[in-house]
Amino acid sequence: MTPLARREARQGLLFISPWIVGFLAFTLIPMVATLLFTFLNVTLAQAEPLRFVGLDNYARLFGDPQVWQSLVVTFTFAALWLPFIVIVPFVLALALNSRHTKGKSLFRTLFFMPYVVPFVAGILAWQQMFADTGWLNDFLRFLGWKNPPAWLFDITFIYPALVILGIWGIGAGIIVNLAGLRGIPTELYDAAKIDGANSRQQLRYVTIPMMSPVIFYTIILGVVEVLQYFLVPLVLKAGTGEPGGSTFFYNLYLYKVFFNFQQMSYGATLAWLLFGITLLFTVILFRTSRRWVYYAGER
Amino acid sequence: MRTRQLRAGALLATLVLAVGACGPNTVGTPVPSGPGASVPAASTPASQPAPSVPSADLRWFCCLGTGQDPVQIPVEEEVAAAFATSFPGSNLKFEVTNYDEARDTLSTQIASGNGPDLVGPVGVGGLAAFQGQWLDLGPQIEKWSYDLSEYDPAAVDFYKTAEGQIGIPFAVYPSMLWYKADMFEEAGLETPPHQYGTKYKMPDGTEVDWSYDTVLELAKLLTVDKSGKDATEAGFDPKSIVQYGFEPQRDDLRGLGAYWGAGSLAGADGKTVAIPDAWKVAWKFWYDGMWTNHTIMTGSVAESEEFSGGGYTFFSGRVAMSENFLWTTYGVADAGTDWDLAAIPSYNGKVTSPLNADTFGVLKGTKNPDTAFAGLTYVLGEASDKLLNLYGGMPARTAKQDAFFETLGKKEGFPEKVDWQVAKDSLQYADNPNFEAPMPKYNETLTILEKYESKFATTPGLDMDKEIEALRAEIQAAWDS
Repeated sequence: MTPLARREARQGLLFISPWIVGFLAFTLIPMVATLLFTFLNVTLAQAEPLRFVGLDNYARLFGDPQVWQSLVVTFTFAALWLPFIVIVPFVLALALNSRHTKGKSLFRTLFFMPYVVPFVAGILAWQQMFADTGWLNDFLRFLGWKNPPAWLFDITFIYPALVILGIWGIGAGIIVNLAGLRGIPTELYDAAKIDGANSRQQLRYVTIPMMSPVIFYTIILGVVEVLQYFLVPLVLKAGTGEPGGSTFFYNLYLYKVFFNFQQMSYGATLAWLLFGITLLFTVILFRTSRRWVYYAGER
Repeated sequence: MRTRQLRAGALLATLVLAVGACGPNTVGTPVPSGPGASVPAASTPASQPAPSVPSADLRWFCCLGTGQDPVQIPVEEEVAAAFATSFPGSNLKFEVTNYDEARDTLSTQIASGNGPDLVGPVGVGGLAAFQGQWLDLGPQIEKWSYDLSEYDPAAVDFYKTAEGQIGIPFAVYPSMLWYKADMFEEAGLETPPHQYGTKYKMPDGTEVDWSYDTVLELAKLLTVDKSGKDATEAGFDPKSIVQYGFEPQRDDLRGLGAYWGAGSLAGADGKTVAIPDAWKVAWKFWYDGMWTNHTIMTGSVAESEEFSGGGYTFFSGRVAMSENFLWTTYGVADAGTDWDLAAIPSYNGKVTSPLNADTFGVLKGTKNPDTAFAGLTYVLGEASDKLLNLYGGMPARTAKQDAFFETLGKKEGFPEKVDWQVAKDSLQYADNPNFEAPMPKYNETLTILEKYESKFATTPGLDMDKEIEALRAEIQAAWDS
């Protein structure tokens, strides 16, 4: 390495050092620490002497019904939620990108506006809208539904309610999809038209393949987000898992084990299981992406 | 474990004794005897030496029990601010956290090394949930020669755990039946008996035991739909009920069960889950009341704006009878001006009135144990009258009871005459062991109970025997892990 290169490297490291310090202090060291915790018996009270427990915490995971119940809750909701957060922003972005749509700027603003409302405030507002005397049920009664659902108190309707609440905040997803759609070269559509493709075929053979990186990105973020689903059930149902445990998501259980049950080691083990599950799904998605994600700039 | 349960039972028994047999109206005051005291207190009784404590800024964490209501907060802040007058140089900062988040918040604060000094009011359950975190007050009591003679020794001993002396008795909240006299009058029914052991006169003139069977019969007559039909009439519409006959205390499945009989989830060995039979009956009564008899609100109705009462359904003024603790005086004025208190009904000929008991605790992580102890004695002593009235807590000192109820009875919006004697009498039927007594994996167990409670309240058509067995198995799995 030349002296110039060495000096540049030193300066580069100097400039990046705040991030490195932050990464070490707030990410890497805590991660390593939690991994160590999983082999110890750390609790808040620490009534027993600190000791090495081997794989006991991992063995406990398999015998803990709450782990599996909360994973079932999480995956059930994910199965319902993921298609919505992938498809709805894409469809809305298509509509907003269409030359036939009037008032695009107004709609873009309206769709994005909920995203800038503080999330907790939004959840609390929806809590009132889902109430028996809330706007949603008032509207359903107006349409003739005599006994509309108790959205937040009925195991059948709680997930649809959470999906509706989530869709309200998809403004960012729409913007990402819109940016992707704007980036598709018009020449491709022109060529498709010359080849006789109708609108549906243009969507199938041009738009979707060209948008596949954005869709892939949305799916990855969606998977990570849904596995970490926490704030909505915490605020909406005070973390109780009501109704009947249907909102007792995995991350909520993890939080409770840490801060309510005060079992730091077991909580850390749950966190590492979540990390493993997230990693597994991410790897699977990346592996499969080779088959269906098209990168126009890829060599 | 068994010892702990017995101790919990002993507390309730002794608190009852203390209430009934306490000595003169003296308030324990810290009297320092050790070195290091620095700032003399400004206002202490002239007959006692002035206590001194190192100056410190204390934090008072609320609310693991009552204390979070918007009308309570300004008074608590006022009490906290006045601490500086009694102990110049020191301050007491009141920090309110909603009950729903209080346990998690306190855990987080402790875990991050940022715990408060003083915690309260905290009940038996709150103390049990934070086992291992409380300061042993013994050294401070000895150092300050704190006068405990006004308490029954057994009541003081109740707060002696493996951690040491973790509390000093403060307030008790017996349970009663709260009823709306106007609803009984409108239905042409006798009001429920105020005296324990009294029979109830049914509309046909027959006299029957004041039991849950009788309550069910009355509840059906007092549950009315919008067309004015009661739950016994043909054509009654359970989907348009405007007035409910009965509401149990549904904060905690254990508490709900304890109205039918005292018990504990922990079996004789302290490791095996054994749900008391009376609790199973209570839970089925509640479940059938919601989904079959329609005399009790389902979960969604109880949470609705119309019926929630902003806290407890009885506050909505749409419930004829409800079981609850004395602390509900904080919001019961919303129920109207025609409510009164009656005896808790019996189950299998036995009456059980679940009891809540509150105190204040000092966390062992406090950096200022002496000043925190001064803060404790301040809220339990000088500020206790104000706080007891605020919380609706019956003082443990007999001499203070009548004055307490006199003040409570004058509360704005209360009926002119409330039979507070029922509250005093209910103490004789306190649950022993107490439903909040320590048990293994306390917080985990509460989480499982909450889940099932919610399931019962929101899901019709359940096989309750199977559900109760599933609940038992799940708690057992948590205890075994």
